[in-house]
Amino acid sequence: MDKEQIYAVVKKYILENLEDLQDSDIDPQKSMKDYGANSLDIIEVVSCSMRELKIKIPRSELADIKTIDELADKFLANMSAEANQ
Amino acid sequence: MDEILNYSLADFQYNDNPDVLEPPEDFEAWLQNPRINYCFSFFEQQLLCMPRTTTEIKSNLDQQKRKMINLTSYNYLGLSSHPEVIQAAHEALDKYGTGASGAPLLSGTFDLHIKLAKKLAEFKEQEDCLLFSNGLAGNMGAIQGILRKGDFFILDEKCHKSLVDGGTLSGAKMLFFQHNDMDSLAQMLEKSKGKRTLVAVEGVYSMDGDLVKLPEVLELCHQYQAAIYIDEAHSTLMFGPNGKGVAEHFGLEDKMGVSFGTFSKSFGVVGGFVCSNARLIRYMKCYSSPFHFSCAPSPVMVGALLKSLEVATRDSSLRDKLWENTAYLKKNLLDLKLDLGKTESQVIPIIIGSSGEKLFQMATEIQKRGLFLQPVDFPAVPAHSRRFRISVSSQLTKEEMDKACNIIEDVIVKGLK
Repeated sequence: MDKEQIYAVVKKYILENLEDLQDSDIDPQKSMKDYGANSLDIIEVVSCSMRELKIKIPRSELADIKTIDELADKFLANMSAEANQ
Repeated sequence: MDEILNYSLADFQYNDNPDVLEPPEDFEAWLQNPRINYCFSFFEQQLLCMPRTTTEIKSNLDQQKRKMINLTSYNYLGLSSHPEVIQAAHEALDKYGTGASGAPLLSGTFDLHIKLAKKLAEFKEQEDCLLFSNGLAGNMGAIQGILRKGDFFILDEKCHKSLVDGGTLSGAKMLFFQHNDMDSLAQMLEKSKGKRTLVAVEGVYSMDGDLVKLPEVLELCHQYQAAIYIDEAHSTLMFGPNGKGVAEHFGLEDKMGVSFGTFSKSFGVVGGFVCSNARLIRYMKCYSSPFHFSCAPSPVMVGALLKSLEVATRDSSLRDKLWENTAYLKKNLLDLKLDLGKTESQVIPIIIGSSGEKLFQMATEIQKRGLFLQPVDFPAVPAHSRRFRISVSSQLTKEEMDKACNIIEDVIVKGLK
Protein backbone atom coordinates (compact mmCIF):
# COMPACT_ATOMS: atom_id res chain seq x y z
CA MET A 1 0.00 0.00 0.00
CA ASP A 2 1.41 3.41 -0.92
CA LYS A 3 1.03 6.74 0.83
CA GLU A 4 -1.80 7.88 -1.44
CA GLN A 5 -3.86 4.84 -0.48
CA ILE A 6 -3.13 5.39 3.21
CA TYR A 7 -4.10 9.04 2.86
CA ALA A 8 -7.36 7.99 1.21
CA VAL A 9 -8.22 5.79 4.21
CA VAL A 10 -7.49 8.59 6.69
CA LYS A 11 -9.47 11.06 4.60
CA LYS A 12 -12.45 8.71 4.45
CA TYR A 13 -12.65 8.63 8.25
CA ILE A 14 -12.13 12.38 8.56
CA LEU A 15 -15.13 12.91 6.26
CA GLU A 16 -17.15 10.35 8.22
CA ASN A 17 -16.44 11.95 11.57
CA LEU A 18 -16.41 15.68 10.89
CA GLU A 19 -19.48 17.62 9.90
CA ASP A 20 -19.82 19.98 6.94
CA LEU A 21 -16.58 18.90 5.27
CA GLN A 22 -16.09 18.07 1.58
CA ASP A 23 -13.36 15.91 0.06
CA SER A 24 -11.87 18.89 -1.75
CA ASP A 25 -11.71 20.91 1.49
CA ILE A 26 -9.05 18.70 3.04
CA ASP A 27 -5.47 19.89 2.84
CA PRO A 28 -3.06 17.20 4.14
CA GLN A 29 -0.68 19.87 5.38
CA LYS A 30 -3.27 20.94 7.94
CA SER A 31 -4.26 19.41 11.26
CA MET A 32 -7.60 17.73 11.86
CA LYS A 33 -8.11 20.40 14.53
CA ASP A 34 -8.12 23.00 11.74
CA TYR A 35 -11.30 21.34 10.49
CA GLY A 36 -13.00 21.48 13.88
CA ALA A 37 -11.99 18.04 15.16
CA ASN A 38 -11.91 17.66 18.92
CA SER A 39 -9.70 15.12 20.67
CA LEU A 40 -12.48 12.49 20.64
CA ASP A 41 -12.94 12.93 16.87
CA ILE A 42 -9.19 12.49 16.35
CA ILE A 43 -9.14 9.27 18.41
CA GLU A 44 -11.99 7.97 16.27
CA VAL A 45 -10.28 8.82 12.96
CA VAL A 46 -6.94 7.35 14.07
CA SER A 47 -8.49 4.19 15.56
CA CYS A 48 -10.67 3.48 12.51
CA SER A 49 -7.77 4.12 10.14
CA MET A 50 -5.39 1.85 12.03
CA ARG A 51 -7.99 -0.90 12.17
CA GLU A 52 -8.55 -0.74 8.39
CA LEU A 53 -4.82 -0.60 7.72
CA LYS A 54 -4.22 -3.49 10.18
CA ILE A 55 -1.56 -1.62 12.13
CA LYS A 56 -1.23 -0.59 15.76
CA ILE A 57 0.93 2.31 16.90
CA PRO A 58 1.12 3.43 20.55
CA ARG A 59 -0.70 6.72 21.22
CA SER A 60 2.37 7.99 23.01
CA GLU A 61 4.18 7.91 19.62
CA LEU A 62 1.44 9.91 17.91
CA ALA A 63 1.37 12.80 20.38
CA ASP A 64 3.75 15.05 18.42
CA ILE A 65 2.12 14.61 15.01
CA LYS A 66 0.82 17.93 13.75
CA THR A 67 -0.68 17.34 10.28
CA ILE A 68 -2.72 14.77 8.37
CA ASP A 69 0.29 14.26 6.08
CA GLU A 70 2.55 13.44 9.06
CA LEU A 71 -0.02 10.93 10.26
CA ALA A 72 -0.06 9.21 6.85
CA ASP A 73 3.77 9.16 6.91
CA LYS A 74 3.77 7.55 10.34
CA PHE A 75 1.30 4.89 9.18
CA LEU A 76 3.39 4.25 6.06
CA ALA A 77 6.60 3.89 8.07
CA ASN A 78 4.91 1.42 10.40
CA MET A 79 3.52 -0.64 7.51
CA SER A 80 6.90 -0.69 5.77
CA ALA A 81 8.63 -1.80 8.99
CA GLU A 82 6.05 -4.57 9.44
CA ALA A 83 6.49 -5.71 5.83
CA ASN A 84 10.26 -5.89 6.23
CA GLN A 85 10.07 -8.13 9.30
CA MET B 1 3.31 -5.54 19.79
CA ASP B 2 7.08 -5.63 19.92
CA GLU B 3 7.64 -2.55 22.02
CA ILE B 4 5.13 -3.51 24.65
CA LEU B 5 6.20 -0.86 27.13
CA ASN B 6 5.36 1.92 24.68
CA TYR B 7 1.70 0.95 24.93
CA SER B 8 -0.64 2.38 27.54
CA LEU B 9 -4.31 2.36 28.46
CA ALA B 10 -4.77 4.91 25.66
CA ASP B 11 -4.25 2.11 23.13
CA PHE B 12 -6.96 -0.39 24.01
CA GLN B 13 -10.19 1.59 24.29
CA TYR B 14 -11.07 0.74 20.72
CA ASN B 15 -12.15 -2.90 20.77
CA ASP B 16 -12.36 -4.77 17.47
CA ASN B 17 -12.42 -8.28 18.91
CA PRO B 18 -15.09 -10.16 16.91
CA ASP B 19 -16.33 -11.64 20.20
CA VAL B 20 -18.14 -8.82 21.96
CA LEU B 21 -17.64 -10.50 25.33
CA GLU B 22 -13.86 -10.35 25.05
CA PRO B 23 -11.45 -7.42 25.40
CA PRO B 24 -9.15 -6.51 22.48
CA GLU B 25 -7.01 -9.53 21.57
CA ASP B 26 -3.73 -7.86 22.50
CA PHE B 27 -5.01 -6.33 25.77
CA GLU B 28 -4.62 -9.49 27.85
CA ALA B 29 -1.13 -10.13 26.46
CA TRP B 30 -0.17 -6.57 27.33
CA LEU B 31 -1.58 -6.87 30.85
CA GLN B 32 0.19 -10.15 31.49
CA ASN B 33 3.59 -8.72 30.59
CA PRO B 34 5.50 -8.74 33.90
CA ARG B 35 6.51 -5.08 33.58
CA ILE B 36 2.97 -3.91 32.87
CA ASN B 37 1.60 -6.21 35.56
CA TYR B 38 4.02 -4.66 38.01
CA CYS B 39 2.87 -1.12 37.10
CA PHE B 40 -0.75 -2.20 37.61
CA SER B 41 0.11 -3.48 41.09
CA PHE B 42 0.01 0.14 42.27
CA PHE B 43 -3.71 0.23 41.49
CA GLU B 44 -6.35 -0.85 44.01
CA GLN B 45 -4.05 -1.34 46.97
CA GLN B 46 -6.12 -2.10 50.03
CA LEU B 47 -6.43 0.42 52.83
CA LEU B 48 -6.90 -1.40 56.10
CA CYS B 49 -8.20 1.51 58.17
CA MET B 50 -9.45 5.11 57.79
CA PRO B 51 -7.67 7.25 55.18
CA ARG B 52 -6.07 9.39 57.87
CA THR B 53 -2.72 11.09 57.35
CA THR B 54 -1.09 8.01 58.80
CA THR B 55 -2.87 4.92 57.56
CA GLU B 56 -2.21 1.27 56.85
CA ILE B 57 -2.28 -0.49 53.50
CA LYS B 58 -1.80 -4.02 52.29
CA SER B 59 0.83 -3.49 49.64
CA ASN B 60 0.30 -5.17 46.29
CA LEU B 61 4.09 -5.12 45.80
CA ASP B 62 4.85 -7.72 48.46
CA GLN B 63 1.52 -8.40 50.21
CA GLN B 64 2.95 -6.81 53.37
CA LYS B 65 0.79 -4.72 55.69
CA ARG B 66 2.50 -1.38 55.95
CA LYS B 67 1.92 1.73 58.04
CA MET B 68 2.15 4.73 55.73
CA ILE B 69 2.12 8.50 55.74
CA ASN B 70 -0.76 9.25 53.42
CA LEU B 71 -0.26 11.94 50.75
CA THR B 72 -2.71 10.38 48.31
CA SER B 73 -6.25 10.38 49.78
CA TYR B 74 -8.62 13.24 48.88
CA ASN B 75 -9.52 13.60 52.56
CA TYR B 76 -8.32 17.22 52.33
CA LEU B 77 -9.97 18.40 55.56
CA GLY B 78 -9.93 15.09 57.41
CA LEU B 79 -13.72 14.98 57.45
CA SER B 80 -14.11 11.31 56.46
CA SER B 81 -12.60 10.39 59.81
CA HIS B 82 -13.91 13.34 61.86
CA PRO B 83 -15.62 12.14 65.06
CA GLU B 84 -18.60 14.51 64.70
CA VAL B 85 -19.17 13.40 61.10
CA ILE B 86 -18.97 9.73 62.05
CA GLN B 87 -21.39 10.35 64.94
CA ALA B 88 -23.83 12.09 62.57
CA ALA B 89 -23.63 9.10 60.20
CA HIS B 90 -24.39 6.75 63.12
CA GLU B 91 -27.41 8.83 64.11
CA ALA B 92 -28.75 8.90 60.53
CA LEU B 93 -28.21 5.16 60.26
CA ASP B 94 -30.17 4.51 63.45
CA LYS B 95 -33.05 6.73 62.39
CA TYR B 96 -33.30 6.10 58.63
CA GLY B 97 -31.54 2.77 57.95
CA THR B 98 -28.93 2.08 55.31
CA GLY B 99 -30.48 3.05 51.99
CA ALA B 100 -32.90 5.55 50.47
CA SER B 101 -34.78 2.66 48.85
CA GLY B 102 -35.99 4.61 45.86
CA ALA B 103 -35.44 7.22 43.20
CA PRO B 104 -35.83 10.80 44.51
CA LEU B 105 -39.05 11.52 42.59
CA LEU B 106 -40.91 8.48 43.95
CA SER B 107 -39.78 7.36 47.40
CA GLY B 108 -36.11 8.25 47.80
CA THR B 109 -36.43 11.81 49.12
CA PHE B 110 -36.02 12.11 52.90
CA ASP B 111 -36.19 15.27 54.97
CA LEU B 112 -32.41 15.02 55.20
CA HIS B 113 -32.02 15.33 51.41
CA ILE B 114 -34.19 18.47 51.32
CA LYS B 115 -32.22 20.00 54.18
CA LEU B 116 -28.83 19.28 52.60
CA ALA B 117 -29.87 20.57 49.15
CA LYS B 118 -31.19 23.79 50.69
CA LYS B 119 -28.03 24.36 52.72
CA LEU B 120 -25.78 23.70 49.71
CA ALA B 121 -27.76 26.07 47.47
CA GLU B 122 -27.44 28.81 50.10
CA PHE B 123 -23.75 28.03 50.52
CA LYS B 124 -23.12 28.33 46.77
CA GLU B 125 -25.37 31.42 46.49
CA GLN B 126 -27.65 29.69 44.02
CA GLU B 127 -31.41 29.14 44.12
CA ASP B 128 -31.55 25.36 44.26
CA CYS B 129 -29.49 22.20 44.30
CA LEU B 130 -29.65 18.64 43.00
CA LEU B 131 -27.98 15.78 44.89
CA PHE B 132 -26.41 12.78 43.16
CA SER B 133 -25.34 9.44 44.64
CA ASN B 134 -22.12 9.54 42.65
CA GLY B 135 -19.87 12.47 41.77
CA LEU B 136 -18.99 11.37 38.25
CA ALA B 137 -22.64 10.68 37.51
CA GLY B 138 -23.53 14.12 38.88
CA ASN B 139 -21.22 15.98 36.51
CA MET B 140 -22.14 13.76 33.59
CA GLY B 141 -25.84 13.91 34.39
CA ALA B 142 -25.89 17.67 34.75
CA ILE B 143 -24.40 18.18 31.30
CA GLN B 144 -26.64 15.49 29.80
CA GLY B 145 -29.63 17.12 31.50
CA ILE B 146 -28.86 20.64 30.24
CA LEU B 147 -27.52 20.27 26.69
CA ARG B 148 -29.08 18.88 23.53
CA LYS B 149 -28.07 18.10 19.94
CA GLY B 150 -27.46 21.41 18.18
CA ASP B 151 -26.04 23.04 21.32
CA PHE B 152 -22.35 23.76 21.82
CA PHE B 153 -20.33 22.53 24.79
CA ILE B 154 -16.92 24.19 25.11
CA LEU B 155 -14.49 22.65 27.61
CA ASP B 156 -11.00 23.33 28.84
CA GLU B 157 -8.91 20.44 27.44
CA LYS B 158 -7.99 19.42 31.01
CA CYS B 159 -11.57 19.01 32.17
CA HIS B 160 -12.51 15.75 33.88
CA LYS B 161 -13.80 12.71 31.98
CA SER B 162 -17.21 13.09 33.64
CA LEU B 163 -17.73 16.37 31.76
CA VAL B 164 -16.54 14.85 28.48
CA ASP B 165 -18.86 11.87 28.93
CA GLY B 166 -21.74 14.20 29.77
CA GLY B 167 -21.09 16.12 26.55
CA THR B 168 -20.99 12.91 24.53
CA LEU B 169 -24.28 11.72 26.04
CA SER B 170 -25.99 15.07 25.46
CA GLY B 171 -25.33 15.04 21.70
CA ALA B 172 -24.05 18.63 21.83
CA LYS B 173 -21.15 19.64 19.61
CA MET B 174 -18.04 19.54 21.81
CA LEU B 175 -15.14 21.92 21.33
CA PHE B 176 -12.02 21.84 23.51
CA PHE B 177 -9.92 24.95 24.15
CA GLN B 178 -6.27 24.87 25.14
CA HIS B 179 -5.78 24.80 28.87
CA ASN B 180 -6.46 28.22 30.42
CA ASP B 181 -5.76 29.88 27.04
CA MET B 182 -8.18 32.75 26.45
CA ASP B 183 -7.28 33.17 22.74
CA SER B 184 -8.14 29.52 22.20
CA LEU B 185 -11.40 29.90 24.16
CA ALA B 186 -12.32 32.97 22.07
CA GLN B 187 -11.69 30.98 18.87
CA MET B 188 -14.07 28.26 20.05
CA LEU B 189 -16.70 30.80 21.12
CA GLU B 190 -16.51 32.33 17.62
CA LYS B 191 -17.46 28.90 16.23
CA SER B 192 -20.49 28.61 18.48
CA LYS B 193 -21.73 32.18 18.00
CA GLY B 194 -25.50 32.39 17.90
CA LYS B 195 -26.01 28.90 19.32
CA ARG B 196 -26.87 27.86 22.86
CA THR B 197 -23.40 27.49 24.41
CA LEU B 198 -22.15 26.24 27.76
CA VAL B 199 -18.49 26.69 28.78
CA ALA B 200 -17.10 24.24 31.36
CA VAL B 201 -14.07 24.90 33.54
CA GLU B 202 -12.71 23.47 36.77
CA GLY B 203 -11.90 25.51 39.87
CA VAL B 204 -8.75 23.50 40.53
CA TYR B 205 -7.44 21.26 37.75
CA SER B 206 -6.93 17.87 39.33
CA MET B 207 -3.66 16.71 37.81
CA ASP B 208 -1.80 20.05 37.94
CA GLY B 209 -3.36 21.86 40.87
CA ASP B 210 -3.60 25.16 39.00
CA LEU B 211 -6.69 27.38 39.04
CA VAL B 212 -9.04 28.43 36.26
CA LYS B 213 -8.52 32.00 35.04
CA LEU B 214 -12.08 32.66 36.05
CA PRO B 215 -12.39 36.46 35.58
CA GLU B 216 -11.06 36.17 32.01
CA VAL B 217 -13.27 33.17 31.18
CA LEU B 218 -16.32 34.95 32.57
CA GLU B 219 -15.60 38.09 30.56
CA LEU B 220 -15.42 36.05 27.35
CA CYS B 221 -18.61 34.20 28.26
CA HIS B 222 -20.40 37.54 28.69
CA GLN B 223 -18.98 38.85 25.45
CA TYR B 224 -20.26 35.83 23.52
CA GLN B 225 -23.43 35.34 25.58
CA ALA B 226 -22.36 31.87 26.66
CA ALA B 227 -23.18 30.35 30.06
CA ILE B 228 -20.53 29.15 32.48
CA TYR B 229 -20.37 25.81 34.35
CA ILE B 230 -17.75 25.47 37.07
CA ASP B 231 -16.65 22.13 38.50
CA GLU B 232 -15.42 22.79 42.04
CA ALA B 233 -14.62 19.16 42.90
CA HIS B 234 -11.16 19.98 44.27
CA SER B 235 -11.94 23.45 45.65
CA THR B 236 -15.26 23.41 47.55
CA LEU B 237 -14.87 23.93 51.33
CA MET B 238 -11.28 25.05 50.79
CA PHE B 239 -11.03 28.16 48.58
CA GLY B 240 -12.52 31.58 49.25
CA PRO B 241 -12.99 33.53 52.48
CA ASN B 242 -15.92 31.27 53.42
CA GLY B 243 -14.78 28.08 51.72
CA LYS B 244 -17.33 28.36 48.92
CA GLY B 245 -14.77 27.57 46.25
CA VAL B 246 -12.59 29.14 43.59
CA ALA B 247 -15.52 31.26 42.36
CA GLU B 248 -15.62 32.89 45.80
CA HIS B 249 -11.81 33.16 45.78
CA PHE B 250 -12.24 35.45 42.74
CA GLY B 251 -15.31 37.18 44.23
CA LEU B 252 -17.50 35.74 41.47
CA GLU B 253 -19.59 33.16 43.35
CA ASP B 254 -22.89 34.76 42.36
CA LYS B 255 -21.91 34.92 38.67
CA MET B 256 -21.74 31.18 37.99
CA GLY B 257 -24.44 29.71 35.75
CA VAL B 258 -24.01 26.25 37.23
CA SER B 259 -21.77 25.19 40.11
CA PHE B 260 -20.85 21.55 40.60
CA GLY B 261 -19.15 19.90 43.57
CA THR B 262 -18.31 16.42 44.79
CA PHE B 263 -18.89 14.93 48.22
CA SER B 264 -16.00 12.46 47.97
CA LYS B 265 -13.15 14.90 48.44
CA SER B 266 -13.17 17.65 51.06
CA PHE B 267 -16.60 16.53 52.35
CA GLY B 268 -15.15 13.08 53.07
CA VAL B 269 -18.24 11.14 51.96
CA VAL B 270 -19.40 10.18 48.41
CA GLY B 271 -21.66 11.69 45.73
CA GLY B 272 -22.04 15.01 43.98
CA PHE B 273 -24.24 18.12 43.77
CA VAL B 274 -25.21 20.71 41.21
CA CYS B 275 -26.44 24.20 42.07
CA SER B 276 -28.13 26.63 39.69
CA ASN B 277 -31.31 28.66 39.24
CA ALA B 278 -34.49 26.98 40.50
CA ARG B 279 -36.02 26.61 37.03
CA LEU B 280 -33.03 24.76 35.61
CA ILE B 281 -32.78 22.49 38.67
CA ARG B 282 -36.51 21.69 38.36
CA TYR B 283 -35.99 20.84 34.67
CA MET B 284 -32.90 18.73 35.39
CA LYS B 285 -34.83 16.75 38.01
CA CYS B 286 -36.93 15.46 35.11
CA TYR B 287 -34.20 15.01 32.50
CA SER B 288 -30.89 14.30 34.23
CA SER B 289 -30.84 10.50 34.14
CA PRO B 290 -28.44 9.82 37.05
CA PHE B 291 -30.83 11.79 39.27
CA HIS B 292 -34.14 10.77 37.76
CA PHE B 293 -33.43 7.05 37.37
CA SER B 294 -31.09 6.39 40.26
CA CYS B 295 -31.60 5.67 43.94
CA ALA B 296 -31.13 8.79 46.07
CA PRO B 297 -27.96 9.10 48.18
CA SER B 298 -28.00 6.91 51.30
CA PRO B 299 -29.41 8.80 54.31
CA VAL B 300 -26.31 7.69 56.23
CA MET B 301 -24.19 9.64 53.77
CA VAL B 302 -26.54 12.62 53.81
CA GLY B 303 -26.47 12.75 57.62
CA ALA B 304 -22.66 12.74 57.47
CA LEU B 305 -22.64 15.41 54.73
CA LEU B 306 -24.80 17.80 56.75
CA LYS B 307 -22.27 17.53 59.57
CA SER B 308 -19.28 17.86 57.20
CA LEU B 309 -20.73 21.09 55.82
CA GLU B 310 -21.33 22.40 59.33
CA VAL B 311 -17.86 21.46 60.64
CA ALA B 312 -16.06 22.89 57.61
CA THR B 313 -17.94 26.19 57.58
CA ARG B 314 -18.56 27.04 61.25
CA ASP B 315 -15.10 28.61 61.32
CA SER B 316 -12.04 28.71 59.08
CA SER B 317 -9.78 26.52 61.22
CA LEU B 318 -9.69 23.45 58.92
CA ARG B 319 -8.99 25.37 55.73
CA ASP B 320 -6.52 27.66 57.50
CA LYS B 321 -4.60 24.59 58.59
CA LEU B 322 -4.84 23.15 55.07
CA TRP B 323 -3.23 26.25 53.56
CA GLU B 324 -0.62 26.36 56.29
CA ASN B 325 0.30 22.74 55.54
CA THR B 326 0.23 23.36 51.79
CA ALA B 327 2.60 26.32 52.13
CA TYR B 328 4.94 24.32 54.39
CA LEU B 329 5.08 21.33 52.04
CA LYS B 330 5.48 23.48 48.93
CA LYS B 331 8.35 25.44 50.47
CA ASN B 332 10.15 22.26 51.46
CA LEU B 333 9.63 20.67 48.05
CA LEU B 334 10.77 23.81 46.23
CA ASP B 335 13.84 23.93 48.46
CA LEU B 336 14.58 20.45 47.10
CA LYS B 337 14.45 22.03 43.58
CA LEU B 338 11.58 19.77 42.50
CA ASP B 339 9.35 20.67 39.53
CA LEU B 340 5.89 21.33 40.98
CA GLY B 341 4.41 22.61 37.72
CA LYS B 342 2.03 25.53 38.13
CA THR B 343 0.27 24.39 41.27
CA GLU B 344 -1.70 27.01 43.19
CA SER B 345 -3.59 24.64 45.45
CA GLN B 346 -3.48 21.66 47.80
CA VAL B 347 -2.94 19.44 44.75
CA ILE B 348 0.84 19.39 44.27
CA PRO B 349 2.37 17.46 41.38
CA ILE B 350 6.01 16.40 41.50
CA ILE B 351 6.84 16.14 37.82
CA ILE B 352 9.64 13.70 37.09
CA GLY B 353 9.63 13.68 33.26
CA SER B 354 9.15 11.18 30.49
CA SER B 355 10.55 7.97 31.96
CA GLY B 356 7.83 5.59 33.02
CA GLU B 357 10.49 3.17 34.23
CA LYS B 358 11.95 5.76 36.59
CA LEU B 359 8.47 6.72 37.81
CA PHE B 360 7.65 3.18 38.89
CA GLN B 361 11.11 2.49 40.34
CA MET B 362 10.69 5.54 42.53
CA ALA B 363 7.09 4.61 43.37
CA THR B 364 8.25 1.20 44.61
CA GLU B 365 10.95 2.63 46.83
CA ILE B 366 8.65 5.36 48.16
CA GLN B 367 6.08 2.77 49.14
CA LYS B 368 8.60 0.49 50.80
CA ARG B 369 9.87 3.47 52.80
CA GLY B 370 6.37 4.03 54.18
CA LEU B 371 4.96 6.86 52.09
CA PHE B 372 1.62 6.40 50.32
CA LEU B 373 2.25 8.61 47.28
CA GLN B 374 0.88 7.21 44.04
CA PRO B 375 2.47 7.55 40.57
CA VAL B 376 0.44 9.16 37.78
CA ASP B 377 1.30 7.84 34.34
CA PHE B 378 0.35 8.54 30.69
CA PRO B 379 -2.43 8.88 29.47
CA ALA B 380 -3.73 10.49 32.69
CA VAL B 381 -0.98 13.08 32.20
CA PRO B 382 1.17 13.90 29.13
CA ALA B 383 3.91 11.35 28.38
CA HIS B 384 6.63 13.97 28.91
CA SER B 385 5.44 14.92 32.40
CA ARG B 386 4.81 11.76 34.37
CA ARG B 387 4.52 12.56 38.04
CA PHE B 388 3.60 11.92 41.61
CA ARG B 389 0.62 13.85 42.91
CA ILE B 390 0.34 15.01 46.48
CA SER B 391 -3.05 15.67 48.06
CA VAL B 392 -2.36 17.83 51.11
CA SER B 393 -4.53 17.35 54.19
CA SER B 394 -5.25 19.80 56.97
CA GLN B 395 -4.60 16.89 59.35
CA LEU B 396 -0.94 16.38 58.44
CA THR B 397 1.43 17.07 61.30
CA LYS B 398 4.78 18.79 60.84
CA GLU B 399 6.48 15.50 61.77
CA GLU B 400 4.56 13.62 59.08
CA MET B 401 5.39 16.27 56.47
CA ASP B 402 9.07 16.31 57.46
CA LYS B 403 9.27 12.54 57.26
CA ALA B 404 7.50 12.56 53.89
CA CYS B 405 9.91 15.20 52.55
CA ASN B 406 12.87 13.14 53.74
CA ILE B 407 11.61 10.12 51.80
CA ILE B 408 10.93 12.31 48.75
CA GLU B 409 14.46 13.71 48.98
CA ASP B 410 16.05 10.27 49.36
CA VAL B 411 14.09 8.70 46.52
CA ILE B 412 12.91 11.32 44.01
CA VAL B 413 15.58 14.01 44.33
CA LYS B 414 18.40 11.47 44.30
CA GLY B 415 16.69 9.46 41.56
CA LEU B 416 16.51 12.50 39.30
CA LYS B 417 20.24 13.25 39.60
